[in-house]
Amino acid sequence: MEPLGSRTAPVPTDGRVLTVRGLSKTYSGRTGRKVANDSIDLDVSAGEIVALLGPNGAGKTTFLRQVAGQLLPTAGSIEVAGVDMVRSPRRAKEFLSVIPQECEPRSDLTTEEHLRYFARLKGETRGSIAATVERLLTETGLAEHRGKLVRELSGGLRRRVLLAVALSGPSTRLLLLDEPTTGVDPEGRRSVWRLIDALRARRIGILLTTHYIEEAEYLADRVAIINGGRLVAGGTVEEIRATLPFRGRLEIRGLDHLTPSARVLVGELESKYRVSVRLGNAERLEIVDPFRPEVVQELAHLTTEGVRATLSPVSLEDAYLAMVGAEAGELP
Amino acid sequence: MSWRRFPDQLAVSTHMQLTGTTRELGLLLGFTILFPIGILFFLNVLIVPALRVQVLIGTIMMETALLNVNVLAQAIGGDKQTKLFDLFVSLPISPAVYALSIALSILPFSLASAVVTLGVAIVAFHVVITPFTLAALVGGFVLVWGSTLGVGFLIGVLGRSPRQINSMAQLVGILLTFFVPVFYPASILPLPLRVVAYGWPLTWGAQFLVAVVNGPASTLAISGAVLVGFVVAWFALIGSGIRWRER
Repeated sequence: MEPLGSRTAPVPTDGRVLTVRGLSKTYSGRTGRKVANDSIDLDVSAGEIVALLGPNGAGKTTFLRQVAGQLLPTAGSIEVAGVDMVRSPRRAKEFLSVIPQECEPRSDLTTEEHLRYFARLKGETRGSIAATVERLLTETGLAEHRGKLVRELSGGLRRRVLLAVALSGPSTRLLLLDEPTTGVDPEGRRSVWRLIDALRARRIGILLTTHYIEEAEYLADRVAIINGGRLVAGGTVEEIRATLPFRGRLEIRGLDHLTPSARVLVGELESKYRVSVRLGNAERLEIVDPFRPEVVQELAHLTTEGVRATLSPVSLEDAYLAMVGAEAGELP
Repeated sequence: MSWRRFPDQLAVSTHMQLTGTTRELGLLLGFTILFPIGILFFLNVLIVPALRVQVLIGTIMMETALLNVNVLAQAIGGDKQTKLFDLFVSLPISPAVYALSIALSILPFSLASAVVTLGVAIVAFHVVITPFTLAALVGGFVLVWGSTLGVGFLIGVLGRSPRQINSMAQLVGILLTFFVPVFYPASILPLPLRVVAYGWPLTWGAQFLVAVVNGPASTLAISGAVLVGFVVAWFALIGSGIRWRER
């Protein structure tokens, strides 16, 4: 079976399917000038998944909409498969597919009709459309739902329909997914993740935005963190975690049920280690080296005192919270 | 995208719109069939027999324009609500493909409505329509359809939210119903209102269709030329991608 998106698209010799340089977007309004994106540089290579993380209003969707050709940038350049999106949007759009945030497929069309129509609009020929639709239905697990109207499908299946639509172009080299699993139940989310992950082998570059840190950890080869319209960090999950000055975290729960002696013990630890997050009756302490015997001993003391405490290596979430501010996150 | 793909993309997109529309037929049929017949009977009670042709043509015009404005604007509003509009903008298609396909998917219903209205007028009100008049009426109908679809498209793309789009479409609908001289001759309006009325393609359309039935040829030619001008202007505006890609 021929892999999707492998037929006609040009891929620049350096393998990059998206090259963004100095991308800025400013709005002028009655309340003054608002900078939504500020000089962002970002690349996505063929077969690579890049996750864009950031709090609400950080500029993720604005960035994605500019790359998708829905919004004109104020400054900077965007190249999709080597084609300038600002100057030649219609040509550049032949090489990308988008699933906008909270997008819903048409409720009055069936799954198969979605694929048939959108594939044709994206350049699939009349002669190849039947085979393409069959292949997409099989690969996205939608074959048994082909004749159902979209309004009869669950949220997870609707996401699959949109993914199948996004994959339907013969020249797709770049896939833009704006919060692809928001509003989808955990089971549906994992099935969408598996589908996205499988696209890696097809040499399609994927840029996705998400609020779910675990989604970025599961899927992304590289993560870019955006805050206040600026790119504040970028790299692999390991590289981003390594930017933190501490390697572990001690999470203490049940702070409002501590015995007096446990309260003293926790107080000592709070004065020794920096508290990174405190929410409700739980807190998180930054541990520079979680493998030191002294730290393990402290954890044992806490457990002996009946305190619910766990020691774990730093996660992407810790790095994210350190970069965008702890107020943006919550303890899981 | 090559413009060579325009006809193919238009055909595919229109088929898609039509497939969806025919699954939500009830409201559309009520709007296209019952509404014009209702107007026709209502106005026939009030209007002197000499103005029957004007009323008939006004009803067809109003129905066509309201469908174009309301359905096109609200279809775009619906697509904005479900974010499908963003998906369409990201496709390698011209905005004209998108707008025209929605308008074309409404055309059969407008046409059916016009035929039913005409049939009722002939049978119930004994309006005489010759084959030549019928052919000219169809031509005029297509011109009116083409000259008003841009209004719906503009409301759809300029509106920031489905609610705003809905309100704007309703407002324009009210303006069309009460302030555009399609049920009566524009000549009875005071001069300032007449000037405003001639800014609407509908006024020219009504004048054109009345001239098809009653003449004179000069009015027919001038009105027809203005309608063609409106059609060309709308297509140029839509094709230029106004607000297709946001700034």
